[in-house]
Amino acid sequence: MKNTLRQVFHSSKFVVGFVIFVAILVTMFVYPLINPGNPLEMIGVGTFARPGTYVSLYDATKTPTETFRLADADDKRLASQLSAEDRVAMVEWFTAAGIDVEGLDISDTDALLDMWRANYDASVKPKGMTNAKRNYYKRLNSAIEQVSAADTLIITDKDAETGELVEQGRVTKTDYVNVGQVTNVKTLPLGTDNFGRDVLKELVSAAGTSIVIGLLAGLVATLIGLTLGLLSGYVGGFVDDIIVFITNLFTVIPGFVLLILISYSIGQEQRGAAVVALVIGLTSWTWTCRSVRSQVISLRNRDHVNLSKLSGHSLVRIILTDILPYIASYVVMAFILQVSSGILAEAQLSLLGLGPKTTEVPTLGLMMNWAMLYSAHTNGSWWAYFPVILTITLISFSLNLMNTGLDQVFNPTLRD
Amino acid sequence: MKKLLCLVLALMLALAAIGAVAEVTDLPRNETLYFAGQQWGSVNSWNIIGTNQNNSMAIAGGASGYRTLMFETLYMYNFMNGDIIGLLANDDYAWNDDMTALTFTIKDAAKWSDGTPVTGADVVRTFDIGVEIGNGTGTGFKGYIDSIVADGNTVTINAKLNDEGQPVNPLKVLDFLTGTPIAQAAWIDTVVERCGGDAVTILNDPGEDVVWSGPYTKLYADDQKVVLVRDDNYWGQDESMWGKLPVPKYIAHAIYADNPAGENALKAGEVDVCQQFIGNVQNLWLEDGLPISTYYEEAPYGVCLTMPTAWYNFNLPVLAENPALRKAIAIAVDYDTIIANAMTNQSPSFADVPRSLMNPTEGEQALYNHDEVADLQWAGNDIDGANALLDEAGLLDTDGDGYREYNGEKISLNAVCPNGWTDWQASMEVVAAAGKNIGVEITTLYPEWDIYQTVFTNPNQTEYAIYMWSPEAASPSNPWTRVNQFMGSEFVGVENNWSGNWGQYVNEEADALLKKIPVTTDEEELKSLYTELTKIYLTEVPSFSLMYRPSLFHAVNESVWTNFPTGDDGRNIPPADCTDGYGIAALYDLELVEG
Repeated sequence: MKNTLRQVFHSSKFVVGFVIFVAILVTMFVYPLINPGNPLEMIGVGTFARPGTYVSLYDATKTPTETFRLADADDKRLASQLSAEDRVAMVEWFTAAGIDVEGLDISDTDALLDMWRANYDASVKPKGMTNAKRNYYKRLNSAIEQVSAADTLIITDKDAETGELVEQGRVTKTDYVNVGQVTNVKTLPLGTDNFGRDVLKELVSAAGTSIVIGLLAGLVATLIGLTLGLLSGYVGGFVDDIIVFITNLFTVIPGFVLLILISYSIGQEQRGAAVVALVIGLTSWTWTCRSVRSQVISLRNRDHVNLSKLSGHSLVRIILTDILPYIASYVVMAFILQVSSGILAEAQLSLLGLGPKTTEVPTLGLMMNWAMLYSAHTNGSWWAYFPVILTITLISFSLNLMNTGLDQVFNPTLRD
Repeated sequence: MKKLLCLVLALMLALAAIGAVAEVTDLPRNETLYFAGQQWGSVNSWNIIGTNQNNSMAIAGGASGYRTLMFETLYMYNFMNGDIIGLLANDDYAWNDDMTALTFTIKDAAKWSDGTPVTGADVVRTFDIGVEIGNGTGTGFKGYIDSIVADGNTVTINAKLNDEGQPVNPLKVLDFLTGTPIAQAAWIDTVVERCGGDAVTILNDPGEDVVWSGPYTKLYADDQKVVLVRDDNYWGQDESMWGKLPVPKYIAHAIYADNPAGENALKAGEVDVCQQFIGNVQNLWLEDGLPISTYYEEAPYGVCLTMPTAWYNFNLPVLAENPALRKAIAIAVDYDTIIANAMTNQSPSFADVPRSLMNPTEGEQALYNHDEVADLQWAGNDIDGANALLDEAGLLDTDGDGYREYNGEKISLNAVCPNGWTDWQASMEVVAAAGKNIGVEITTLYPEWDIYQTVFTNPNQTEYAIYMWSPEAASPSNPWTRVNQFMGSEFVGVENNWSGNWGQYVNEEADALLKKIPVTTDEEELKSLYTELTKIYLTEVPSFSLMYRPSLFHAVNESVWTNFPTGDDGRNIPPADCTDGYGIAALYDLELVEG
C-alpha cells in the first residue's frame, strides 16, 4: 500500500491534478471562514456590478481628508468627461446647426467650451440628426456642465421641519481620502451577478455543492456499474445475458437524453441537489459495468480463482478477495472520471433549467443558467460566467489529470 | 434519361429556392421598416373573423390599442391622453342621455381594398357574425352590446341593459370602438357560404382572399419572415384622414428564435423597431454607442401601463383564511430589488408611485384619493412589520424549525411563473427570499408555459399558491377593467379563465362598488368609488403587484429610419411600436436618415 502510494505520488501528472483539486477543496473550506454569510444573499440592488472595490460615498464625505495638488488631476478629470471623439462631435453639432467653425482649434478646450456654451440649444433639431444623436448631445452637455462646475461642492442636509438646506460639509477638487480610513468599503473580486449576489462567495459555495453532487453521482454510478459488472462477468450464463441486455439497452439510449427526460418528469419540486446527483448516477453506470465485466471474464479462469472455487469458497468471498483487488485500481480511476462527468452533467442540466431547485443552494450550472438568461455573454458581464466555466474546467481537468497519472502507474502497457 | 430528368428537376428546385431567398433579401432597406418582438412562429391565417391566427403584424388586439396596419378599427385609442380618435368613423360618436345607445357615422372616404365603400352594414355584420360563431369580438362584447343597427353610414350601438334598465357597462362599448377590427360584410358572406355556415370551419378558414381597409396588405409569409406591402390605393390618403400614405413601403418582421436573437438584430441595425424587453437598455447607447433610443431618454424609458402581479390562491385555506399572511408576504417583498433586477429600473418604484389599483399614468393616478389610503400603502422590504403582523395573527413558529405554522402545519407555499420568462422568474426568486426572512417557506417553481397556462386558468387548482399574471393595461374601459380583474367575482369559478381574478377572490362590497363605476359620470363620485376599492384591495391583499411595466416595449434603431415618436416631441404619438392604436400615426412621419 505504502509502496503503491509512493508510486502514485511519483507521477507528476497525478501530483499536479491532486494539488489543483486540493487547492479548490481548501478554498471551499477556508474562504467561507474569511467571508462568512449566506452565499445567496442579494447584497446589490441591480444587476452585474463590476469586479472591484466599492467605497461608500456617504462615509467618504465624512472621512478626514488630505490635500494633494496633483499636476495631472484636472487633465484626467477633463479627459474622463470630454474625450477626443466628443470634441469632434461638438464640431459636428456646430456644423449641423449652421454655426461657423472657421478658425476653431478643437484642442483648445476653453475656446471649444465657450463656443459650446454660447451656441448649444437642446431644443434645436438639426435636419437629419437622429434622436439617438440628439440624446448624446444632451448627455455631453450635462457632462460639460460638470466639468465647468465650481471647485468646491457643498454637501447639504435638508432640515426636516423648515425644509431649509443646512450645510454639512464641502468637497474640493484637491481633497483625497485614504480608502483604508473609510468606514464601509466592500471588495467584490468577481463583482455581482444578475441578482446582486457576490459572485466569488457564490462560486465557492457552488463549487462545493457541485463537487458533492459529482461525488455522489460518481459513487452511485460506480457502485451500480461495479456490482453489475462483477456479477455479470463472474457468474456468466443467464445472469450475464440479462445484465448485458440491460446494459446495452442503457448504452444505446444516449445517456444525456435519458437524464433530461428523467429530470423533467421528476418535476422541479422534487429536484434537490441529492436527487439530481442520484439521477445522474443512475444514468451513467453502463461503461463502468462493461469494462468491469470484461476484466472479470479474463480473471475468472485464473488459477487462484479456480483454487478458491475448489476450496469451496462462497461467491461473495471469491469476488471480494480474489477478483476485486485485481481490478481495484481500474475502479478507482473509473470513479474519478465518473465524478468529473457528474459535475459536468449537473452543469449541463442546470444550463437547460433542469437542475436542482433554485432557491436553496447555488451550483455551478445554476450560476451559468442565470447568467445566460440575463444575456451576460452578450452584455459583457464576463465575471458572471467566465469564473464559473474556469472552475468547472479546473475541477474536471484536475480529476482527469489524476486519472491519467494513475493510469500510468497501474496500466502495465503504459508503465515507464 | 431518368438521371437527366432528376438533374433538371433538382436544378429547378434549387433555382426556385434561390428565387425565394432572393425575394426575401430583395426588400430595399431604405423602403422597409423591420420589426422584432411581435411575431413568434409562422402565421396561421389571415382570417380577420377567425381565431388562433398567430398573425401579429396584421391581426393583433394589442393591450394598448388594435394593430391597424391591415385591418382597421372604427377609432384609434391614444393611451398617452385617453383620446379616442376617428379612423373608419368620424370623430362624432355620442351617447344618448341615459347612455343606452351610442351613435356615430362612417367616413365617406373609407373604402375597402376592392374599392367598395365601408358602410354601417359592415360594422353590423362584423358584430353579428362574431356573436354567431363565437370569435373574440363576439365573446368579448356580447355581454355589453345588445345589437348594432345601421342606416347607411350612421351606426347605432344599443348597449345591453341590466334588470334596472341601466346599461351593463358603457365603458366596454367604448372598447368596442377602439378594439374591434371591422370586416367587410360581403367577404364575410363569402366565407360563411364556402364554410357551409359551420362556426368551427369559419373560425379556422385561412382567409387568403380577405378584403382589408388598412394601408398595408400581405406580400408573403413563411416560417422565416412576414412581409406586408403598402397598398398605394389606401383610402386614408384622403384629406379627411391622414392626407398621405405611410412612409415605409414594406413592413417586415423576421421570425426570431428568442429574445436574444431579436436583440442582436436590433443592435446590428437589422431591426428598426423592437418590441422586446431589453435589460439595461441604456447600455446600448451609453456603452456601445449605438444609434438606439427609447421613448424617454431616462429611466423608465417607456410608458408603464400594466403591473405584473402575484396572485394568491384562495382555494388554499392557509391563504384564504389569513389576510395577515397575505399582507405580511406582500410587505416583506423587496420591490426595489425586483425593479432593479428584473426590470433593470425600467419601472418607477413603489416609493415614487405608491401602490394602488392604478397604473402610473397621470390620468389613472388622479382617479383615487392618495391621502386617504396612504396608511395602507407599502413600499416593501418591511421585515419587522411583516413579522409583527404574523405574530399578532397568531401564526407562530411553535416547533422551532424556523418556519411558522397554521393549524399545526408548517406554512409552505410555492411561487410560480412560466419557465424562461426571465424577469418574472427573477421576481419570484425575490418573493421566495422574502419568505425566508419572515419564517414562511416559499419555494420557486417554473413549469413550462403549456403546463402553467392550463393550471393557472383552472378555477379549482390547488397546485400553485402564488403565481404571476398581468392585468389589463390601457383601453377606454380602464382602470375599471383592471380593477374588475383584481376583485370582480364574475370570473370566479369560470373554467379556462383568461379574463381576470385568477386567485378566485370574492368580496361582495367590492362587487357592489364595481357595478356602480361604469354608469357613474360624476368625477368626484368616481374618485370616491375608486378610493373605496383601493382601500379594500390594500387591506385584504388578494394579490400584490410586483412592478410597473410597459405593455409594449419600444426601442428603435435609427440607422436607416428616424423621426420616431419620443416623449418630448410634442406630437403625442404613443410609444406603441408605430403599429397600435394611435401609435400608427408614427408611420406617416418617418424620415430616412440622410447620408
